[in-house]
Amino acid sequence: MSLTVDSHKYGLKVGTPGIRSVGPLVFGPEGILFVADNVGATIFAIDVGAADAASATGPIEVDNLDTRLAAYLGCSRDDIFIRDMAVHPSSQEVYLSVMRGSGAAAVPILIQVGKDGSVSEVPLEDVPFSQAAIEDAPAEGDTRSEVRLVQGNREGEIMEPRPGYRLRIARDQLRTITVTDMAYVDGILLVAGASNEEFSSALRRFPFPFKGNAQSNSLEIYHVSHSKYETASPIRTFVPYDGNNNVLASYTCTPVVHFSLRDLKPGTQIKGRTVAELGSGNTPLDMVSYRRDGEEYLLVSNARHPLMKIACKDIDRQEPLTQPKEPVGVPRETLPQEGVGRMANLNASYVLMMQQDDEGSVHLHSYNTTKL
Amino acid sequence: MTRGRQLELSWVNQEGLDCLCVRGWTGAELRELGRLSATELGRRLGVLPSELVEAAAHIRTLQPIAGRFAINEGSICFIPRFPFLNGMSYSLIVYSGLVVGRAGELEIWPIQRPSPAGAPTTEAVAIYPTAEEVPVNQLKFYIHFSSPMSEGWATRAVHVRRADNDEPLNDVFLAMDPELWDPERRRLTLLLDPGRIKRGLVPHEEASYPLVEGVPVVINVDTEFRDAAGQPLRTGMERRYEVEPAVRVRVNEADWRFHCPTLGSRSPLTVEFDRSLDHALLEHRLGVNNAAGAPVDGRGSVGLGERSWQFEPQSPWEEGRYVVVVDPRLEDLAGNSLIRVFDRDLMRAEDVPVDVRAVAVEFTCAPAPQPLPIKPIA
Repeated sequence: MSLTVDSHKYGLKVGTPGIRSVGPLVFGPEGILFVADNVGATIFAIDVGAADAASATGPIEVDNLDTRLAAYLGCSRDDIFIRDMAVHPSSQEVYLSVMRGSGAAAVPILIQVGKDGSVSEVPLEDVPFSQAAIEDAPAEGDTRSEVRLVQGNREGEIMEPRPGYRLRIARDQLRTITVTDMAYVDGILLVAGASNEEFSSALRRFPFPFKGNAQSNSLEIYHVSHSKYETASPIRTFVPYDGNNNVLASYTCTPVVHFSLRDLKPGTQIKGRTVAELGSGNTPLDMVSYRRDGEEYLLVSNARHPLMKIACKDIDRQEPLTQPKEPVGVPRETLPQEGVGRMANLNASYVLMMQQDDEGSVHLHSYNTTKL
Repeated sequence: MTRGRQLELSWVNQEGLDCLCVRGWTGAELRELGRLSATELGRRLGVLPSELVEAAAHIRTLQPIAGRFAINEGSICFIPRFPFLNGMSYSLIVYSGLVVGRAGELEIWPIQRPSPAGAPTTEAVAIYPTAEEVPVNQLKFYIHFSSPMSEGWATRAVHVRRADNDEPLNDVFLAMDPELWDPERRRLTLLLDPGRIKRGLVPHEEASYPLVEGVPVVINVDTEFRDAAGQPLRTGMERRYEVEPAVRVRVNEADWRFHCPTLGSRSPLTVEFDRSLDHALLEHRLGVNNAAGAPVDGRGSVGLGERSWQFEPQSPWEEGRYVVVVDPRLEDLAGNSLIRVFDRDLMRAEDVPVDVRAVAVEFTCAPAPQPLPIKPIA
């Protein structure tokens, strides 16, 4: 049985969220799922129901998840784009953001995966939700847009550049922020994203409940390499740890950095402490933290490198890197799990991993934290 | 396949949605199916993509397509939750024999969706920068399309090759997931791998810059790039660049040349830059204000090679001061802005970031040239 949270508590209203695309997911308080919609430039907070108790505590194993999704959504496996995965903190149900198809035919869908591997659509009609715009903090008076001629009369406005000569034009906003990762920490939704224009380094902070049209405030994140060079550095993926006191983040340019959440004050500049470099041609994909034998560890999945394990206590001890020589930085262990993309904490005992095999099939496997 | 009776499958449009209509049932089957609840009906019948049916070891383990069946005067219709896709084959699965004597028998009835129609219409219309030279620490390229595009093709359909020997240059662009598009999905931003551009980082030390100084390159947008309708491009696009030394100097408006317009005319103000600047940012980081500080109505446009910017006012220029307002976040091709060098050397005092919120450059319009006065001869 699931219960709906007191909607008023979080400023949610019942309706149907106008979701145009689904991307990064993260759970907030009491079964509220944050969904980043990069096409609509909006973050939705949706009450998917707060379970009264964990319905399951064991592992989840789902083979051929992509085939199951293709069957359920009536398309080829090639048309399935799994954007992110999140686990409901109390019910331990697995949620996926999935785009079915691409282009104009793309359909955004939130999927719940059952323990038996069955998949179902998360209903989005008449659900309690609220939303916040992903602002690009444009300069005051920045109304830049690209003007294009349009046919028909369904969009655009009439312009008369000279008497008797009428054109129908549309103005397209070009600037966007593409959300790459999110985390919810003590009433604040932290949103990392990349700009499609400047090499922006802003980490946005959205107080939750969302407050009307109040804009997010943001932090400039800088990266110093080897005490010699400093650059603006967009964060690609990150994970809070140590009771939400610290963050381990990876930049678009591969260094893994630490910063303290206590330093995350609005309008400040943050300089991350580089604790590891992952080498060329690699992109960190996801991060997750877990506890084993009283110690906290982090896992980092990578596009080209194997799954890495880092002890949090080693991060705290790590001096800022000064030499670009491999292997550099915090000690890390390579784990044998292959093809790991998205990861999530299933519960205190298991980490859930989405793994792609050599044939391209996607599977969900649970790993006991005592063996990681 | 079943013996005896032949099912007929067809597509029927119901309220804008194509549904799968199945006829040819025996009277006994229709009577039996008609007695079932929607859930029970879903256990007897299902629809699946045919390619999954062919590949599946155990069809019964595949969860069928989301949707519902409706029984209607001799036919049974499947109304899908998500639209059927053109060009695909779908199969109706009859999970167990409905008629006595056929228990346990599985029936598979395939039907093809029509192919996507029409010739390709979308084109790649521009690649920025349009400058013929780029610095070796070039940070990004923009590709403009004539129509909205599909995601997922950026790394597959945009290639870079050496112009001197046609060898491909691999891993030039950062594989972004999700890709960086404008809201209309008509402009793609491709970042060159910043880890290979930033000095001191392992990727830079190991693999150096994505481009090679002195080696000209060609950026190619292949026709296999799919538009929003799933169609390939009608025409792709190529642009050649010479690769010059790295640029690591702040953009400075003092290095620009301002060509002031003539008073009383609508001739454009032209600002010439000392280097090519970022095309996208140029379109909204420059403006003109009047003496009162109000923006002047008019049209800004970016010059060839992103080396200049012109502003044409809607009304003739008046007497008095005007100001070109520059947002200091304006960047050059290598990501250097008026505020900071992209990856600044902490040892270089001249590269310390400047704390500026806006840069303003004053100008007044030149009076129209007057004919020389005729002086009386003394």
